[in-house]
Amino acid sequence: MRIDIKLTGRLYNKIVRDLARPHPFATERVGFVFGRVGLLADEGALILLSRYQVIPDDQYVNDPSVGARIGSEALTWAMQSLYFGRATREGIFHIHMHQHKGETRMSRIDSRDIPKFMPGFQSVSSEAAHGIIILSLNHGSGWVWLPSRKEPIPTNTMSVIGAPVGIFEWRIKR
Amino acid sequence: MSTDRFSRQSFLGENSEDLISRCTIGVVGLGGGGSHIIQQLAHIGFQRYIIYDDDVVEESNLNRLVGARTVDVSAMTQKLHIAKMMIYGLQPNANVKGFACKWQENPKPLRECQIVFGCVDSYKGREELEIACRRYLMHYIDIGMDVHGKERPVIGGQVILSSPGELCMRCMGFLTDENLAAEAGLYGNAGSRPQVIWPNGVLASTAVGLAVEIVTGWTRHSLSHAYMVYDGNQATISKSITLRNLKTVTCPHFLDTDVGDPILVGL
Repeated sequence: MRIDIKLTGRLYNKIVRDLARPHPFATERVGFVFGRVGLLADEGALILLSRYQVIPDDQYVNDPSVGARIGSEALTWAMQSLYFGRATREGIFHIHMHQHKGETRMSRIDSRDIPKFMPGFQSVSSEAAHGIIILSLNHGSGWVWLPSRKEPIPTNTMSVIGAPVGIFEWRIKR
Repeated sequence: MSTDRFSRQSFLGENSEDLISRCTIGVVGLGGGGSHIIQQLAHIGFQRYIIYDDDVVEESNLNRLVGARTVDVSAMTQKLHIAKMMIYGLQPNANVKGFACKWQENPKPLRECQIVFGCVDSYKGREELEIACRRYLMHYIDIGMDVHGKERPVIGGQVILSSPGELCMRCMGFLTDENLAAEAGLYGNAGSRPQVIWPNGVLASTAVGLAVEIVTGWTRHSLSHAYMVYDGNQATISKSITLRNLKTVTCPHFLDTDVGDPILVGL
């Protein structure tokens, strides 16, 4: 099944600017980006990202074993946002950045920890798609949990609709 | 796969060939304007196309439809077929998804695109395409020409870039309730409009130039929107006066959150 992600250049720049900022103790930043689904031909789906939420510095937990860990306040806020957006099927995507160039994949810690958020997101907003997005310095990819699906589907393409356009395609097998 | 084929356009950037080949382009309307655009896109090296036209070649098209031949009139060749032949003749490995229908009858394939060219005749048609492009996050590049007056004909036209999150065609003063209403008032009585090949060529070339800039960023000018006006009598194309005097910097007509398939929300 084909799944693509799109976002505007303005939103992409806002996300990258935030994720690149140093944090007082965490070695990386995370954020939440919201989006809705648009259907593609042949049962495919588009994830159209629309707004980004910065996680304030004081909502991180100091845990040197991981790059960044967010606390319950940030998660509660995310759940509340989902609750209020559920009528329009707005989904939420955990997003962070790896400091390298090229295609991204989930690290061991990413695949251990971040998918644990998804059942909670799905229980609050069951008709929306949720997921994980990992950016690199010049690329990005996502894993999408469609409504009622327990396993994620990796995205084919992430398009940044700005000037210039960014088209991040996944070329190696995941 | 860089070859000598693109050596004369290497100034577009080291990765331009790759960027161009990965971009999916939509072209709605494959007549006088669309056929020019298709030809140029294929020469430049675009490989992925989603194209729509439900019409066949008629005799009155032969004065401007690039790629059409006299025999296509009697054969009632689809304009879609002419466009495909043009693309495959230049890019044999291109991925072309063509639809001999109105885009509204099969809208899902169009949503894959990063850039859509609108080569349609009406304000209403432009408005509908722009709404779809905002909803599914695609750059929209509109071209159109018209000839006004009979005693002293005046050729005019426009090229507009409307990008998600940036100024739209209403912000730029091109689409108004008045011109939409006036067009609706002419419904069924518009008659056939004068059309000639050279203004279409100027407008299509300008529009393709915008697309290449969006894809490659070769001029290093950040391009958020554009509205260029063509004066066919003076042979000039220049930035619209409306746009030059525009005070608006944020589009009030499309919200960033109005994306994806529309959902009916109970009140």
